[in-house]
Amino acid sequence: MSDPVRAVLGQVLAVAIAIALGALVILAVGESPVRVFRVLFLGAFGDATKIAGTLLQTTPILVCGIAACISLRAGLFNIGVEGQLFMGGFAAAWIGFGFSLPPVFHVLLGLAVAALAGLAWIAIPAFFRARYGANEVVSTILSNYVAVLLTSYLTIFLFKRPGGWSETPPIHESAYLPAIFDFSRLNWGIVIGLALAVGVWFYFRATPRGYAITTMGSNPKFAEYGGIDIRRQGFAVLLVSGAVGGLAGGIEALGVHRRFMEGFAPGFGFDGVIAALLANGHPLGTIVTALFFGALRNGSLLLEVDTNASREIITVIQALIILAVSAQILMRRRADSTAGERRWKF
Amino acid sequence: MSAWTRRFAALCGASLMMLGSAAAQDKVSVAAISGYFAQGFGVSIVNGLNKAKDDFGIDLKLIDTGNRALDYEEQFANAAKDGQYDLIFVMGWELADALQKAAAAYPNQRFVFIDGVLDSDKIIYANFSEEQGSYLAGTLAGLMAEKGSAIAKMGDGKAIGFVGGRDIPVIRNFLKGYEAGSKDAAPDVRVDAVFAGTFDDPAKGSELTLALYEQGADVVFNVAGPTGEGVMQASAAADKYSIGVDIDMCATAPGNVVASMLKRGDVAVYTLVKEEVEGKKVTPGVRTFDLASGGVELKMCDDVAANIPAEIKDKVEAARKAVIDGTVKIGEAQ
Repeated sequence: MSDPVRAVLGQVLAVAIAIALGALVILAVGESPVRVFRVLFLGAFGDATKIAGTLLQTTPILVCGIAACISLRAGLFNIGVEGQLFMGGFAAAWIGFGFSLPPVFHVLLGLAVAALAGLAWIAIPAFFRARYGANEVVSTILSNYVAVLLTSYLTIFLFKRPGGWSETPPIHESAYLPAIFDFSRLNWGIVIGLALAVGVWFYFRATPRGYAITTMGSNPKFAEYGGIDIRRQGFAVLLVSGAVGGLAGGIEALGVHRRFMEGFAPGFGFDGVIAALLANGHPLGTIVTALFFGALRNGSLLLEVDTNASREIITVIQALIILAVSAQILMRRRADSTAGERRWKF
Repeated sequence: MSAWTRRFAALCGASLMMLGSAAAQDKVSVAAISGYFAQGFGVSIVNGLNKAKDDFGIDLKLIDTGNRALDYEEQFANAAKDGQYDLIFVMGWELADALQKAAAAYPNQRFVFIDGVLDSDKIIYANFSEEQGSYLAGTLAGLMAEKGSAIAKMGDGKAIGFVGGRDIPVIRNFLKGYEAGSKDAAPDVRVDAVFAGTFDDPAKGSELTLALYEQGADVVFNVAGPTGEGVMQASAAADKYSIGVDIDMCATAPGNVVASMLKRGDVAVYTLVKEEVEGKKVTPGVRTFDLASGGVELKMCDDVAANIPAEIKDKVEAARKAVIDGTVKIGEAQ
């Protein structure tokens, strides 16, 4: 079997095992798995609104997934996508409600500032990684908590809309990232996400620098020997990854919520990282896995209403997928350990 | 044998009648949407709904929203789309935006927003007169401070404290009632009020409470959500008194909690469901649950009540009656 086919089969097997175990959990809570999966499917793809809803859920997972893919390619692990998303979301909302600008320019500026905010947020972990070799997994995870609390502080103490829930004022209409259909909040963010996925795939496949980064990801010693400055490239890769994470927040703020509030978009950064892992760090594969998670999420909303199973069953299935995928990665690393110096194999 | 057949026949008859009546009057069906069914006030709502389910045999569906703002609008749409629920109860300010959109999109669906009033006039609001319950809390605390060290664990600071969560209108409304109650009952007692600025920081709640005790306050009223857990802990640590809020908190610091100002979410939802079952359709508008209707109350803790002189208890009871019959007016929120 060729390598890519094996990789895809491995992931499909991981998902199948997770779903089978999920079915056991559903049985244990006294529901019929067939019925639950049927409602789940109807909730995700039952009609046009449901499909749009699925794509709406897919958007942040996809963009966060691309952010994760970029770092995984270089053998680096940006688990701070969540924090970058919060920073980007707040920054975009701030541009949206704080400034009056002409329509198209306003949106573009909002998204650009969101990306900048994400980039700024990963700059410190990226610097310590490049300069001192500090483990970026730990530093990016930790920066998530700071981002969530910092944006919450900014929202509550500096920019709170008078009265009501802790949220900023709504953004100006000129900053709206427009909806695609009038029956859903689905917006052009999904198109941005798809374009990013294709662009990133093309970049890694067809440009010299993309090749250098891929080489560095699969074997840093070899890359260094070949004349690649892995510190510098790693620094740049993390910055770009963070910028995409920030962009994900900008899309949510300008396209969906049109304001920033406490509990803005919890968990999407992590969902994105999982989607990227499940796709073996492949940008086009991430489109498929993000859609899968988006469908699970959106389907679970109908599940909660129409069956006696809790929507949390989806969280269980997702967790099982993570377990199955990480088991696989570990097995491959072991088989691989004599072959090279890879930190992660992607 | 004949006795058994008769019993059997009676049972069959009864069940047939029940079937018949159920079919005739169409079972009332109720849903509740929230992300906080497992916490304090949410538990109270769930208890009220379950009681209504047991008493009236309604259909009840609890819909957990989780904490992702992206999901809320779809959740409301899924719940309202078939019109299968007569009433949908909604709890949590984070749902306000999605709720108002759903109320506009599904004009025939009746939503009940619990504990607050929004802009939309299509919604039923279950609002609580927290100032009335707080008035009694202020009366009790004020009278205790006036007695001072005659009561165990009290000092002679002639002051009482208040720890609020965020400085928002509803918390101000608690404070207004508390101050009014204390002032009417014990004019010489000072009320020290502080706001934690957050509902999610027990450590800060504890710190502020200890500071209030330092300043001479001997009873502190906790109106701070999860931040208030720190208030209760501090009262146990300093061995001073506290007053709980929303639910019965006597057990959180036994011997130190004097009373709890209950906001009876269960009474509110039960009352509304009962009206619905009795065929009185609940219509949009603000419904207020106060002392008179049992929507708010001051519940003394048995273990501490023994230390409190009977005259104080009598005065609190008199204040309760005065608020109910309207002799005492606490005014609107500022």
